[in-house]
Formats: sequence, C-alpha cells, structure tokens
Amino acid sequence: MKEKTILNVKDLSAAYEDAEVLSSVNLSLKKGEMLCIVGESGSGKSTLLRTVCGDAQIKVKNGCVIYGDRDITKLKSCERQKVLGTKIGYIQQNPWGAFNPLRPYSIQFRETLKSHKKKYDAEKIAELFSILGLKDPESILKSRPYEMSGGMNQRIAIAASFILGPELLLCDEITSALDVTTASAVTDELLKLKKETEVTIVMVTHNIGIAANIADRIAIMYKGQIVECGERDKIINAPEHEYTKRLLADVPQLEY
Amino acid sequence: MEHLLEGKKINKTFVTKGKETTALSDVSFYLDEGEILGIVGESGSGKSTLLNVVSGLIKADSGELFYGEENYIGKGPAHTGKFLRMIFQDAKSSFDPRMTMEKSLLESRRGKQDRGELSELIKAVGLEEKLLSRKVSDMSGGQCQRMSIARALYSEVGILLCDEITSAVDVSSQKQVVELLKKLNESRKLSCIFVSHDIALVSMLCGRIMIMKDGRCVEEGETAAVISDPKNEYTKLLIESAKKQSF
Amino acid sequence: MIVFAAAVIIMTLFAGVFAPNDPYKTSATVIRTAPCADYPFGTDNLGRCVFSRVLYGGRTTIAATFFLVFVSFAIGTVIGMVCGYYGGIADRIFMRIADITLGFPQMVVAIAVAGILGAGMKGAMIALGITMWISFARLARSHTYSIKNEAYVKTVLFTGKSDFYIIMVHIFPNLMGPVLTNALTQIGTTMIGLSGLSFLGLGIIPPTAEWGSMISEARAYIQIAPWSVFYPAAATIITIIIFNYLGDVVMDYREAG
Repeated sequence: MKEKTILNVKDLSAAYEDAEVLSSVNLSLKKGEMLCIVGESGSGKSTLLRTVCGDAQIKVKNGCVIYGDRDITKLKSCERQKVLGTKIGYIQQNPWGAFNPLRPYSIQFRETLKSHKKKYDAEKIAELFSILGLKDPESILKSRPYEMSGGMNQRIAIAASFILGPELLLCDEITSALDVTTASAVTDELLKLKKETEVTIVMVTHNIGIAANIADRIAIMYKGQIVECGERDKIINAPEHEYTKRLLADVPQLEY
Repeated sequence: MEHLLEGKKINKTFVTKGKETTALSDVSFYLDEGEILGIVGESGSGKSTLLNVVSGLIKADSGELFYGEENYIGKGPAHTGKFLRMIFQDAKSSFDPRMTMEKSLLESRRGKQDRGELSELIKAVGLEEKLLSRKVSDMSGGQCQRMSIARALYSEVGILLCDEITSAVDVSSQKQVVELLKKLNESRKLSCIFVSHDIALVSMLCGRIMIMKDGRCVEEGETAAVISDPKNEYTKLLIESAKKQSF
Repeated sequence: MIVFAAAVIIMTLFAGVFAPNDPYKTSATVIRTAPCADYPFGTDNLGRCVFSRVLYGGRTTIAATFFLVFVSFAIGTVIGMVCGYYGGIADRIFMRIADITLGFPQMVVAIAVAGILGAGMKGAMIALGITMWISFARLARSHTYSIKNEAYVKTVLFTGKSDFYIIMVHIFPNLMGPVLTNALTQIGTTMIGLSGLSFLGLGIIPPTAEWGSMISEARAYIQIAPWSVFYPAAATIITIIIFNYLGDVVMDYREAG
C-alpha cells in the first residue's frame, strides 16, 4: 500500500485569548498509522488536537492544517461539520463528556446518526460492542450514561465515534481518567478496532509508557513545540532531544 | 517484634442518602520503623480512606490502631499529630493562600519554634531559602509538595502518611519527590506510608507493598516478591497492565 | 465608583460644613421657595432649606446603614463561622431559622417587626437587622464549611492548635473577601429599607432629617413645591446606585483575581 498523507499540520501557531500555546508545529500523518503525542500538562498537546477539531476559542495565528486537500482551519463551521462530522472523530478524556448523562444510549446513538444522515444499524453497533468487549449490547443501549462506570462509558464513546466510520480518530487522554487495569483493557480494545477498520489514530497522552507500547510513531511536545518526532523505537531507545531523555528517565518503571 | 504503627481489623462504612458503601472491611496492616510501606489500589479501593483513618481524620467504625503499645483508635488529629503527619495530593491547597511558607512551616511544630532550623531543612528537601518568603500562589506544584514534606519534617514526627502526593505533579517533579523520600528515609530513619495508584512508582520506592481492592487488602508482602510472583488475580491483572506501560 | 462613594460619605459626614443653612430652622418668610442662590434645592412647607436637610438626612441614613451593616456583618459572620465549623445540632437549627426567614420578603418582616416595636430609628434598625444578619451567616457558613475541608486546615489540625486559633488565623481571613463584598452590596438594600420604613412613618421620627421621611412629608404638596420631593428622592436613588455599583466593581475585581 502506498503511504498516503491524511493530515498535514504546517507551521501552525495558535493561541487562546492572550497566551500563545502552539508555536510553529509541523506534523504529518500517514494513513492508517497510530501516532502518539506525548507531553506534560501545559505542553499544548490537547490544544493541537482541538485546533484540528476547530475549537472556536483557539485563534490560529499562523500556518494551516491540511486535511484531504483543504485547509480546515479556514472552514466555516457549517462546512467544517460536513468535512469533520463523519471523517474525523474526537474522543475526550472525560468518559461522560460525550453523552447526555440522563438519556439512554440508543436514543443518543440514533440522534447522532440522524444528524449525519446515516441509518441506525443495530447489527453494526452490536459488532462494535463485541470487539470492545461490551457484552449484551441490547441492555447497554437501554441504560443511561450515569449508571455506567468510566471504563464502560469510554468504550461506548469509542463505539459511538466508530459507528460514523471515521478516517481519522483524535483521542485526547482517553485513558487518563481510568484505573490502570481498565485503561490497559480499553487501549487493547481500541487497537483491535483499529486493526479491523484501518482508521488513523492520533492519541494524546501524558504517559510515555502507553505511547511506547501502542504507537507506530511518537511526537514529543514541550512548551508548545514538537521537540522530537519519529518512529517509536527510535524515540524510546535513542532519543535525541534533552527533554525526551529526561522524560524517559523520570517515568517510573516497574522494578522487579 | 513490636511494630511502629499497627492497624487491626479496621472497618469503615460511609452512609450517604441512606445508601451504605463499605470503604474498608477488616483491613489490617503494620509499619515498622524506618520502613516505607506502599499501598496500591484503584480509585474506590479504600486506600485513601485507610490513610484518613490511620491519621485520625476519619473515625473508624471498628478496629484497633496502635502506635507502639498505645491504642489510639478514636483519637483525632490533634493527638495523632504528635507522632505522624499527613501529606495531601493537592500540594497547593495544603498551604493557606494568605500565609508565607515560613509562617506555615513554623506553625506546624508544637512548642518552641526555631527559624534557624528552617533554612537547613529547606536545603534538605532541595529548595532554596528564598522560597520561604513566598506565598503558595507563586510556587509550582512540585515545589509545594517538597515544601509540605519540609513542613512535616519540621514538626519532628517520625511517620509520614502520603496520600497520592505525586499524582498532581509532572513526571520530573514526581521523580524528585520520590528520590527525596528515599533520601530522607535513609538519612533520618523516616517511616512512611505511601499511597498511590501507580504500582510502578511504588515499586521504585517501597520495600513492602499492600494491594487494595474494594475495601480489602488482597495481597501484601515484599515488593519484589509480590511483583515477580503475584498470588491474587487482581494483583496479576494490575501488574500485567503496568507492564504494558513500561518500556 | 470609589471616588463617588467617598464624595457622598464626605459630603454627608461633614454636612455641617457644606450645608448653607440650619436644616431645622423654620422660617415663615421663605415657605416653599423654588431653588435659588440662598436655597440651592429650595425650601419646604416650613421654610427649611431642602439642600441642608438632604445633607443632614444623608448623614442619618448613611450612618444608620453602615452601623446596621457592620453589626449584621459581625454577628452573622461569627454565627456562620461557628455553625460551619462545628456543624451538628446548632447548625441544623440555624439553617431552619434561615430557611424560614428566607420565606418572607425582607421588607414585609421589617414592617411587621417595626410595627410591633413602634416608630424610631432603633426599631427600624432592629427590624431590618433581623433578616440581614442571616445573609451574612449563610455566606460565612458555606465558606467556612469549604475552607474547613481544604488540605491546609486539615494540616493544621495535626499541630494541635485550638479551634479558636484555626477559625481566627485560617478561616476568618480567607472568607473576609466574599463576606465583605456581600456587605457592600447590602448597603444599597439597607438604605432602601431604612428610607422605606421612614417613608411609611415606621423609621425616624420627624423633625429629624431623613430622606424617606422628607419625601413622605413633602408628598402632600408635591404640586406646589416638587423640589422638596425631587431632591431627597434623587439623593436616595443616586446613593443607592453608587453603592450597588461599588459592590459590583469590587465583586468583578475579586473574580478577576
């Protein structure tokens, strides 16, 4: 398969009202790969994802984000919805954030699909659920988000974004609010789904350990810049930048 | 052998809006002098509740707590503060926003206060003396956490109870705090209960480890032994998951 | 706003310096004179200078308001801190009382109480204070409760310091901000309350100058001498706006950090 670039971030600088958060970020994403962006809080990694999503609070100062052949930072919100709605999925850290906590999942699934003019396909949902390790899809769909644990909700949120058949999935710290055991189960299941659908995933995390185990490529962010980006093995085994070295040295490792 | 701190069959149930939640059921533990005990568990496992009970901030429903030979169950922090201090997850909110660091530190000792000792202590925790005149809003999370360790040391107690103290700081500060605890443990014979959800972190710091799940202690033993040969199903899962995050 | 508020306070506090005439001196020759050089706001039914009476009346109103707000603030904060800190049965009783009082509009309670106590400034102040301290107490209670659960208070618990020390050194200074802001916003409401009671004849006893009672007296001949109603009314409205704005400005400033 010819490697095709799906997303291209060129010289991107962005800011919230007063503070510049991203400065000259360059990043290109190949189709079907899993890229992990690693950085500490305040490094700008989440802002980068949100800029791609088109968060209205973020002002793009310079540069562009090319998706397909269009600069999506300049799209109007209605056009953005057409392009991003089904093609780019976004999963956030807060497992309950994607749903209305009081309404059954099935209704919320239906509404989402309807707003994107797609049919509600119970079989497809059941299939996604089974890959994600969710047993008894019928009863899950009848229940409401507030009754569910964080891990279950995050799985359902993943299913909800896959149901639209995205090309690109943006995951913002999706395992950070979960317990270690749940987190590793969720990442495993996400990887399984990725294999089935060949979706491209950008995963933002502060945990370089997770990145080391699931990523094809890793980008290290520090103070609004990508300080290092490359193949997983190279970043983990032969880091070049001082910050990456420090990060790798400081992360606690299981000693036994 | 007499233990420094020992808890026997501690039970605690919370009642909110008529609903009962068991936070601790028959949990026993001990801490020897000069030892760092790690308690690992996920959220809701009861590890923080246990620490709060040991510190006297929360009263247990039943059970016994010994400091040496003295049973201090039911006594509040005003009493337990004579031999132990607690350090909280949110370092920034453990300092009065209107007080300077120096005042906060001085306040922590019962009896005679000595400014001279402070500068020495500050250096021992790897901070600069000029930070003493600052208020909490001008300090980073990592600095605050080391400052609260300094405060506990200044109070001249032998036991520190650390409740997820590295969870809110970045990895570099996390490492510094852990190294600091290690150093203090060696140089001052400081005993410590270190509660965390991060088994990797605990494995680097603690000689003995206790795994908690749903208000029970599911496994306990030497850290190396527990990690290389876990007996309990949950412990196995926990270690398996942690291994997936190492490299 | 601070400048305006200061101007109002100084003008009324030093009413004796600024007032051109004796506010209580009646004069048969200048009854209901329109505003002129000698009497900038005109005169009333008894030939008293309205401008001087507005200044002296302001002194009465503002002094009474400040005193009342301060006393409510002191009593309410102490009770609120004690209830919030200790909780328990006293706290529950207090909350019930507070809920019951909240059920009635402040002015209705004030009129009823003032009616029982009879006319006079003392009666009016007690009538208003009876509901006002509760707003301070509620505020202080909720802040005390959240500060009590902050890690820094828990840390101090281990030092064996007394409850009094913790309340005075850690809790009180940290809840001063929001409670003082509340005090500022209460000033406007209290002025309306005091003037309102006086207007109804339940507050100050004439001839003491007070805005509410001045309006009430002059109402009878509003068509002949509208200025004697207009100026005290304008003074009341402007002062209330100034102090309400001051409260808002301080609140915004605090929120901005």
